Amino acid sequence: MILIGELSLWVALLMAAWSTTVSFAGASMRREELIDSGVRGLYATFAMIVLASVGLWTALLSRDFSLEYVASHISSTMPSAYVFTAFWSGQAGSLLFWALILSGYSAIAIATSRKRNKELTPWATGTLAAILLFFLSTECFKANAFTRLSFIPLDGRGMNPQLQNPGMAFHPPNLYLGYVATAIPFAFAIAALFTRRLDAEWLGVVRRWALVTWFFLTIGIVLGMWWAYVELGWGGYWAWDPVENSSFLPWLTTTAFLHSIMIQEKRGMLRKWNVVLVVMSFLLAIFGTFITRSGVIESVHSFTQSPVGPWFATFFFVSTGITIYLVATRLRHLEAKAELESMVSREAAFLYNNLLLIGIAFAIMWGTIFPIVSEWWSKEKITVGPPFFNTVNVPLGLLLLLLTGVGPLIAWRRASISNLKRQFLSPSIFGLIVGVVMIVAGMRSFYAIVCYILCGFVTGTIVQEFYKGMRARQSIHQESAVAAFVHLIGRNRRRYGGYIVHAGIVMLFAAFAGMSFKVEQDVNLRTGESVEMKDPYGHDWKFTGQGVSTSERNDHASQAVALEAWRDGKRYGLMSSEKRQYFDGQKQPLFNPITEVGIKTTARQDIYIVLAGVRDKDTAELRVAFNPLVVWVWLGGFLMMIGGLVVMWPQAERRNAQAGYVAVLPSAATFDSEVPAGV
Amino acid sequence: MTTSRRDFLTRVATGSAALLLTSNVGRAQQKKDVHEMVMKDSTNLFAMDQDAALPVRLPPKPNAAPSMTDKERDQLEHHIHCQCGCTLSVFICRTTDFSCQVSPAMHRDIVQLVHDGYGAQEIIDAFVNVYGERALMAPKTSGFNLVAWILPGAALIAGGGALALLLKRWGERSRERSARATSTPFVATKGDSDATPEELARLEAAVRGDDKA
Repeated sequence: MILIGELSLWVALLMAAWSTTVSFAGASMRREELIDSGVRGLYATFAMIVLASVGLWTALLSRDFSLEYVASHISSTMPSAYVFTAFWSGQAGSLLFWALILSGYSAIAIATSRKRNKELTPWATGTLAAILLFFLSTECFKANAFTRLSFIPLDGRGMNPQLQNPGMAFHPPNLYLGYVATAIPFAFAIAALFTRRLDAEWLGVVRRWALVTWFFLTIGIVLGMWWAYVELGWGGYWAWDPVENSSFLPWLTTTAFLHSIMIQEKRGMLRKWNVVLVVMSFLLAIFGTFITRSGVIESVHSFTQSPVGPWFATFFFVSTGITIYLVATRLRHLEAKAELESMVSREAAFLYNNLLLIGIAFAIMWGTIFPIVSEWWSKEKITVGPPFFNTVNVPLGLLLLLLTGVGPLIAWRRASISNLKRQFLSPSIFGLIVGVVMIVAGMRSFYAIVCYILCGFVTGTIVQEFYKGMRARQSIHQESAVAAFVHLIGRNRRRYGGYIVHAGIVMLFAAFAGMSFKVEQDVNLRTGESVEMKDPYGHDWKFTGQGVSTSERNDHASQAVALEAWRDGKRYGLMSSEKRQYFDGQKQPLFNPITEVGIKTTARQDIYIVLAGVRDKDTAELRVAFNPLVVWVWLGGFLMMIGGLVVMWPQAERRNAQAGYVAVLPSAATFDSEVPAGV
Repeated sequence: MTTSRRDFLTRVATGSAALLLTSNVGRAQQKKDVHEMVMKDSTNLFAMDQDAALPVRLPPKPNAAPSMTDKERDQLEHHIHCQCGCTLSVFICRTTDFSCQVSPAMHRDIVQLVHDGYGAQEIIDAFVNVYGERALMAPKTSGFNLVAWILPGAALIAGGGALALLLKRWGERSRERSARATSTPFVATKGDSDATPEELARLEAAVRGDDKA
């Protein structure tokens, strides 16, 4: 099976080359048989990549250490679950995994849209096959997962224990599922540019796949944050590391696109801009992959220096060049079919939202690549870390939060004073009340107060929308509150799913602001010694050392410290943190020691204990931290995922697919924001 | 020109075999490095340089007393970048588990400088003198690195300006069109619409954005 897998990889490469060539040839010569052959070639590529993947999984699960990839990433003692996930834990495997997802997505996208988008499909097929050709070439020639060793080691190197975590098992595949999905809208955008058919035809496909991108990137990013928080032990969930930033960039542009596409659907506007956003999302996904794998920028994530960096850079620049040419030569076909009538309207609010999202994306990208720019200019290495990213992005993020509340409620075309008053008076009052409560409670941080005022405001707008809709349904259909709530969402999933996502965003912002009140202290404790601390809510805590213990298991030795925690004089419970050293069969140390963090989670804060080291056998060097509102990050992420699922539900797609460029009557457009949809 | 499916598959298989053989030749040439590659790969999440710490020493100030509390010193350490290869500050790195020997060494220097009476900015300057600007967690706001701070804001202002101009142009066009429509009396014919003149008047009012009705 391993040999079949290896051979299949090469056949897949040829199939992708075939599909690229005949699809483009068929599309330009309008020859049906070539177009059909191109599509079949794409399906065959998928089948061959599936075989190759099965081959690699077989090699991993049978622990065939003659393969370099297997010997480098698993060991004989590793749990099977992580042997399975080792498929995407290394360079070569993850490239194959990327190709597997891309070929699967491509087959689904082409099979489902072939009949509806006859003009676009051949070009889209050719583009997708070309992208696959690039990934398969990189896999075959630069990072082949089937490369054999000149010797067969007795055991493999194993996986870094920090990666043996459920978060890390699911975080990369979700990110890949998100990254790769950007290729489908990109391919259809390229097809639309080639054919100059930039009307409603491509919108349906592109929007659906943009949602897939957004959905999986959201899950992937939140899982990555969770893994960093529970596993790395530095006490936070977002460090503005270049690789983290790279995953965030396509999320920002896709979010911008999902908002601006509504303007194109409703008003036929922003056609150029939407093409640019689709293309930008894909190119940023490639840029992110380049950053992850080239080692050009210092990051705690490793694929480090590798030979695929120049390949990705070339692919990135070639794709950018082709796209710029196509957009530039088709500008007149992208003229808007309507124009903005007022700067105080939903269209304008979405434009401001896009400006901010792209502004944030630019700031993050600039900060990420600035060390290279600076080194090139001044020959001196510098670091661009959290102080830079927080300073630049916090004000922009707060403005974005404001628009999260304004955008969905303001009227299309032109908002009147009465519309603004009706929609925003109650949420504004609620936001201000929240702000006053925070100040009275002793909060003095300017940004945190503004953040909570805006969180209150946006929550107010969301609650108001649900309340109006439910009341309307209850009076018309005589439904119970629960039934009205469910039916309201069911009848307009896109709109109310969006509100659920916004509620998740509010939770995230509230949690981020809470983290600015974090309290931490590094302490050295011997058995029986205590340290006293005050948490951000003013409670007095005492932690008493219960001693350091050591133990040894099959694959690791550990030192653990236990602390007894007391809150306001009452016993709270025992907490512990561990330091582990993994070793191989010959008891030789593998990897650097790692820490298992001790975490107690409540709705208000996490108590977070990290054992940094043990001195003189009995003195534990610890960091004790109170991290406020962390659990709301995970709940917010979960809510965003639920909202994303609601929006993606096919029924909503079918109804809205007809929208196209229907110019909504102004009166109806005003109703859209005044009367709850889905009633 | 047609090719049968069997011919095509035969050619694909032959081509694949040829490619496989070619790649095996290349691989054989690389074999000597493979063991080294296995050992290098996946040893850690990043390449750590345990020898990166350099001494940052200054003579004690006359009548020196500690210049800050431990808490303030911890805050200061959040602004100094550990040089081990991670992307963390000295405080976070030394209190985490990367087995770093660099951040504790940098911490010892900071403790000494605090003890010798040096303030936060003086300590930061001392670290920059020894390590260069990479000792900071963010670029300085002077010299070329000021560009790092200015450009995002400048880009946003430029984008906002462009958007404002665009909105203004769209608004003007929209008003012109609206004025043209008003100056040309709209006469409804049967072919245009089934609506009554009153309904058309309401629609016109709505098009102009008058939603008071």
